[in-house]
Amino acid sequence: MIDVFAALGHGFSVAATPLNLVFCLLGAVCGTLIGVLPGLGPVATISLLLPATYALDPIGAIIMLAGIYYGAQYGGSTTAILVNIPGESTSVVTAIDGYKMAQQGRAGEALAIAAIGSFLAGCFGTVVIALLGPPLALMTQKFASPDYFSLMILGLVSAVVLANGSPFRAVSMIFLGLLLGMVGMDINTGEARMTFGLIELSDGINFVALVMGLFGVAEVISNLENKFTRIVNHSKINSIWPSLKVLRGAWGAITRGTLIGTLFGILPGGGATIASFSSYALEKRVSKTPERFGNGAIEGVAGPESANNAAAQTSFVPLLTMGIPTSATMALLVGALTLHGIAPGPTIISRQPDLFWGLIASMFIGNAMLVIINLPLIGLWVRLLNVPYRILYLVIAVVCAIGVYSVNNSSFDIYMTVGFTALGYILRKLDAEPAPLLMGFVLGPMVEENFRRSLITSHGDPMVFLQRPISLVLLLLSAVLLISIVMPSISRRRQEVFQE
Amino acid sequence: MKSLTQRGNSDFYTGLLLVVIAAIALIYIRTLTIGTVLDMGPGYFPLGLALILMGMGLVIVVKGLTTAGVPVGTIHLRPLCFILLSFAAFGLLVERAGLIIAILAQVGLAHFASRETTWLASAITGVLLSIASSVVFVWLLKIPVNVLP
Repeated sequence: MIDVFAALGHGFSVAATPLNLVFCLLGAVCGTLIGVLPGLGPVATISLLLPATYALDPIGAIIMLAGIYYGAQYGGSTTAILVNIPGESTSVVTAIDGYKMAQQGRAGEALAIAAIGSFLAGCFGTVVIALLGPPLALMTQKFASPDYFSLMILGLVSAVVLANGSPFRAVSMIFLGLLLGMVGMDINTGEARMTFGLIELSDGINFVALVMGLFGVAEVISNLENKFTRIVNHSKINSIWPSLKVLRGAWGAITRGTLIGTLFGILPGGGATIASFSSYALEKRVSKTPERFGNGAIEGVAGPESANNAAAQTSFVPLLTMGIPTSATMALLVGALTLHGIAPGPTIISRQPDLFWGLIASMFIGNAMLVIINLPLIGLWVRLLNVPYRILYLVIAVVCAIGVYSVNNSSFDIYMTVGFTALGYILRKLDAEPAPLLMGFVLGPMVEENFRRSLITSHGDPMVFLQRPISLVLLLLSAVLLISIVMPSISRRRQEVFQE
Repeated sequence: MKSLTQRGNSDFYTGLLLVVIAAIALIYIRTLTIGTVLDMGPGYFPLGLALILMGMGLVIVVKGLTTAGVPVGTIHLRPLCFILLSFAAFGLLVERAGLIIAILAQVGLAHFASRETTWLASAITGVLLSIASSVVFVWLLKIPVNVLP
């Protein structure tokens, strides 16, 4: 326990350097911005900003990228409450009661509770990372290659849970990603594989070009297909200081939302979106007056907003302790760490204590910054909604192009982005999600390495994955998770959640 | 008529796409050493993945042919082509003609991707972007690229 405090103190000394404070603030502001602007999710934005962080030192880069992610959870609620447009999928349920409150002239109250709930939940989630991180990492360090292989499988299965639509197709997207991850040099022999004779591909497909194309640019194109609508904000913001009575009413919901979010963030296949939906459902169930929900119940704002922030924080646990991403955003951070020469995994805490504790400390600082950014400056963000997309998309396109180019100073990466944009666009039209593909791509090389190593140590016996207890448990977990998606009753519920 | 609507569903084309990609991969994997379970070559794991992908693709194709699924979304060629072209133009020009011309060419092409853009607004955006990028990326972040030809 004392160790944790000492380490945290060290973390604050890392995170509180002027430069890292600036990165933290930049991340929080960017996150709020994209949270406010609909049609630009965190995955797209992080992929757009990834090359910009390439010039930074790894700690500053990760602090900023993490800030974007949890900042988006704050910003998303603002537009959900004020104009009934959830900036993020995690704020969809917030709009139900939040917008009703705004219509009743209680917008300030709703925004304040959302921000307070988010702050408390964010801080709690961060404490959980600090407490859970080191022991989990120690445990993972005992893993041998078969255990790692099974852990990767669990990570990949969780990508299926998060995907919308047919699980079978999501699995096929994972395999496509795994196959794309094989392009480049073979780790054992150094032989070039599937490079089409192109020297530029010998290091593998450029991660930035892949995500930028699949998520960033493809998203810009789909946004251009719709007519741009100007959003008018009708609701006035009254005092942003909630009364004690409101606080008392929201307290229980904030606590429950935080706990749900914390749990869902750590679990594979959980994530912030599902956490916010579950929290709303729970609040409605425990309420003595469920009929108020949908008509401006404060618990309907407090619960989900706390849940999505707690989950956004704790989803860093599997990434930082085991090196497996549980969502597309986390997969992006794996890519970002790798770009900076840091192998994500259980050794991060022992080998890169500055990074781990600095990041955690920056989360406390960032959450505090976000409350300030969001509450008093709320009018500024709402006005931002008026920036016309016909100018915004030109800016995004140019920044993207320069960003991709700057990673290797190579035009080839830009052509590759063009190719992946086309692929991403086609996949969108075919209703196939690119997120599982990304997970497969990121984990591909590690899956292969551990698979080959396991079979060498077991002399070619595939039963090794079932004989080691850790591996067996992880595989069983994966199987249970997979079965639970395929089972008709649960998959129907899952569809309902996505349809809402 | 019925068969047409069935063929138009997204399952069929998703499966087809996967089969084509797997087939291309298999052609290249053919040249790699496959090896055995005990002595896996560079081609062992990719071969397995490509075969599984091929199999899953075929299943999805069959599903697309036999059941009515979600129709393929409307493809809007205008934004797609102009955005892709604008990126290609940037890639072609950035090393040959410098950053400013590359940016202006990209904005010029991307301008056509939307019907709601106006020439004046796009021109101003283009000029501001080339100035801002030269300052931020070349001067501050020191990306090794020429600003002018």
